[in-house]
Amino acid sequence: MSDRRRNGLILLLVLGLLVASVVVLLQKPTRLGLDLQGGVELVYQGKPTPQQPRVDAAALDRALEIMRDRVDQLGVAEPEIQRSGRDQIVVGLPDVKNAGRAQDQVGKTAQLFFYDWEPNVLGENAKPDPTNQQVTGGTAAGRVGALPYFEAVQLAAKRPPAVERDNSTTDQFYLVDDARKRVLRGPEDAVADLTSEQAAPPGSKVVKVNQGTVLVRAEKPDAREKKKAAVAPNRYYVINDDPALRGTDIRNPEQNFDQGPGSSGEPIVTFDFTDRGRRTWQNVTRAIAQRGAASQVPGTDPQTAYQHFAIVLDGELISVPYIDFQQNPDGIDGSNGAEISGGFTIQSAQDLANLLTTGALPIKLDLISQSQVSASLGKQALNQGLLASAIGFLVVVFFLLLFYRVLGLIAGAALVIYAVYFYALIELIPITLTLPSIAGLVLTIGVAADANIVIFERVKEEIRAGRSIAAGIATGYKRGLSAIIDANVVTLMTAFILFILATAGVKGFAFTLGIGTIVSLFTAVLATQAALSTMGRSRLISRPSALGAGEQRFRWRFDFMGASKWFFSMSGLILLIGALAIGGKGLSFGIDFESGTRITTNLDRPATEAQVRSVLAAEGYADAKIQRLQDPQLGRNVVQIRTANLQPAKVQDVRAALNQRFGVGNNFSNDSIGPTFGQTVASSAVVAIIASLLVISAYIALRFEWKYAVPVLIALMHDLLITSGVYSLVGREVTTSTVAALLTILGYSLYDTIIVFDRVRENVPRMPRAAFSQIVNRSMSEVLTRSLATSFCTVLPVLALLLFGGETLKDFAFALIVGIASGTYSSVFIASPVLTHWKERESVYTRRRRRIEKEHGGKVPAYAAVGAEAQEERRREAEEAQARNARGRRVTTSDEPEEISPQEFDDLVRDLHGDGAKTDGEPPEEEEVDAAAEPPAEEEVEAEPGKPPPAAAPAGPSSSTPKPKRDKSKRSSSTAAKRRGKRHGRRR
Amino acid sequence: MAVLAWVMMGLALWHFTIFLPDRFWGGIVGAFLAAIVGAVLVGMAISGFAVPGEDDTTILTAAEGAPGALLAMALVYAEGTRRERTRPGAHAA
Repeated sequence: MSDRRRNGLILLLVLGLLVASVVVLLQKPTRLGLDLQGGVELVYQGKPTPQQPRVDAAALDRALEIMRDRVDQLGVAEPEIQRSGRDQIVVGLPDVKNAGRAQDQVGKTAQLFFYDWEPNVLGENAKPDPTNQQVTGGTAAGRVGALPYFEAVQLAAKRPPAVERDNSTTDQFYLVDDARKRVLRGPEDAVADLTSEQAAPPGSKVVKVNQGTVLVRAEKPDAREKKKAAVAPNRYYVINDDPALRGTDIRNPEQNFDQGPGSSGEPIVTFDFTDRGRRTWQNVTRAIAQRGAASQVPGTDPQTAYQHFAIVLDGELISVPYIDFQQNPDGIDGSNGAEISGGFTIQSAQDLANLLTTGALPIKLDLISQSQVSASLGKQALNQGLLASAIGFLVVVFFLLLFYRVLGLIAGAALVIYAVYFYALIELIPITLTLPSIAGLVLTIGVAADANIVIFERVKEEIRAGRSIAAGIATGYKRGLSAIIDANVVTLMTAFILFILATAGVKGFAFTLGIGTIVSLFTAVLATQAALSTMGRSRLISRPSALGAGEQRFRWRFDFMGASKWFFSMSGLILLIGALAIGGKGLSFGIDFESGTRITTNLDRPATEAQVRSVLAAEGYADAKIQRLQDPQLGRNVVQIRTANLQPAKVQDVRAALNQRFGVGNNFSNDSIGPTFGQTVASSAVVAIIASLLVISAYIALRFEWKYAVPVLIALMHDLLITSGVYSLVGREVTTSTVAALLTILGYSLYDTIIVFDRVRENVPRMPRAAFSQIVNRSMSEVLTRSLATSFCTVLPVLALLLFGGETLKDFAFALIVGIASGTYSSVFIASPVLTHWKERESVYTRRRRRIEKEHGGKVPAYAAVGAEAQEERRREAEEAQARNARGRRVTTSDEPEEISPQEFDDLVRDLHGDGAKTDGEPPEEEEVDAAAEPPAEEEVEAEPGKPPPAAAPAGPSSSTPKPKRDKSKRSSSTAAKRRGKRHGRRR
Repeated sequence: MAVLAWVMMGLALWHFTIFLPDRFWGGIVGAFLAAIVGAVLVGMAISGFAVPGEDDTTILTAAEGAPGALLAMALVYAEGTRRERTRPGAHAA
């Protein structure tokens, strides 16, 4: 297939995809995440139960299904329920305002158990005492006879283990204060969980309650009793954990009303039994009835002899009804079902019926993180994100136009196409758009532009070296591609590792970064190449200046390696200050890591910190951190409160208290992170960083050589530590977004280093007699502009995020800007000098250095030298070549990619004539090896010993050799060039 | 936090090895490894072979990384010099 046809097909494909994307954009709605539309996010961690001793994927999936049913019953539109990591479930509920009820409904284990009451309630000696009404409660069973919490725990702890499969819980641990007779924390499944959030206070001790014994909370007072305050709250019974029936033995639970004769008309929950349940129910109630009949003292009220069974839901007594042995001497037939009454409201009866309908979760779920965002805050965050994206996009396009003119126009068009494709993919897959994913989107704009810059700089280089415009474009794309692929593969790897290992919020960022990188490869490389190649013969790009490839007024001629001492010192000083700052100030970890609750709200009436504190102190949170914020978008009188981790109900209490005193505005939001979640975030970050470093090192070692991987790792470490030091110095909060940004920095820093190392690798065989420092100096001078341009281009959209994004985006942007700056710096001034120092220890480079030092009076010139005349001739020839191109010799100029530049032609001629390799009386062993392995190149025209050190070599075409012409010799040279292509290595 | 501070201190001091002739055993990379490992090991030794927690980390803790890094780099330098001297046909840089 001809190039023209291929390009036409590609452009047609681009156009077709563009139309399809527009259709998708018009038809499909965008799925917004909770942070952009408001709602509640709950993160649960699975814990084992006696019935499910291991939290495995199957158990999590079953729990997930049950939770999905429960969410459906809540009537939430478009909920998101998914597994996260090994043992977590994330539930996203848009438009849910009451986090407390959502939590109650979705994550409740809903383990329902029926106990034969009297034989199982434990008395003073931790033994059943069925006839003692002080223990069982007698006619007031379930309310009377319960113990204070501390005493109940002490009593339960006396029981030996009695492990059976139908136990409702495993061993339970409590932290108690004997002196004050209080239970401080618990119950928890493990001792470590008691102290994971805070250390144990002095004087406290851990008490273990063995499996087989369980504490159940006494019945809650109903509304009437609550008013009378007749029943003391939070009292507990200690019972043998030997349930007669469980939730799996019932079916068809429904909310109903008590409508029998003489009934109260109160809400109740009715249900039927399964076959097994019916039989068990009959047997249990028969046994209870018979025991009641046997215990009746003749002549007394039979009611005093009634025996009970207890209904326990998740460790709380729901109801303790009695069995009338006179009416049911043979027990109760379960075929008509049964009912649960117990001071329900309609809502609570419905909720219980719903929980029983969906069934118990197979595992216990601990809420480890909960956040609530108001709809107006979400909308504001969305607007900020979109504004930042749009501005980022525009400044990148503007920069490309300014720097690359016509090429920039093409790149700008490619960026527009990229944005349309990308957004269409977001809606098509669909990807839920969150703030982190917007950050990923903005970053990929920079990445897409970077790919264009790498290629355009290469195209300019080729044209300046004397190629025609069409050939320059073809060669530039061809030779620039491998560096782009290397760099993008690394970005993809980082995104993949982030996606696999990171927490839910960061996954969105990783996913968009990965998708964006792939799409950008298509638009920035394939599409622009097809467009430019098609335009190659048009008048629009007939002059090199139209592509920004006019005469190069500025060329880096800096002794990078010589100056590396000072750059190293600067880095050393920054790190020293950073280390002291880390020691002295530490890092300010956000609640993502440290656990706690953060409440942000606007208030109707102004309030000082002290006034807010007085309200919180009344709620028991006197040590809360209170900060007034100036954020007009959140409203007036904005306060942010940080406390220890609060359950949703407590958050609602705080809200109500603030509302009563100051009036809470419509921008109330809160985040609660449990200690487990923080640990998960921290450990996943460490694993992700280590995994990234390993994968990246392996890739570099494979693509380059292993010695190139070590400086890369050192540079990455440098970037990460400098970013940490800066965070410590400025006292900025470290959040999960910061971690994501740090991992992105890994990828980005590497992108930049690969661009530099790629050129070093390319120049090594081209400079077979140069010291390694000279090779690196020359490589740096060739790619520094490109490196700075790509960094600047990436910084632009990130800067837009920092200036116009919301708080989350600013977190990303700050870390990214520090990291990009450090990454660019370390690629040039850290990684390359380390590589130089290390490679120069190799015997071949040691010998070269010794020879050069001998030739130049003990010093190694910064750049490999050529004769001054040759230098001048090369410059003149380059100018002539450009002038030819400028006159528009496109009719006679070949656009074949294999056309060689005058500079390469010089090299070839010298090669064919056999000069160069042995011109200076070099010790044979090294140069022979080099010359055999690597072809001679321009640097072989070195100053002879005794001559004064010549000036540094320009990159322009060489002198003293015939100019390339399109005749026989040209063809033979082209063939030679093809032959030499592999040996020389290609410029990228 | 203390380990982070020690690693940073080691890395910071390693940067200044660029002013010395490259006689480190393993070159600049050998010096790098020595600085990091030395900083952490001696830092831990000074802290009684324990890692101070976030609240216990001070400027002094960070500074505790310095002697270890310097000592380790000095050892690596001495070893490198010794090897260079004993190498047949050794040549001073």
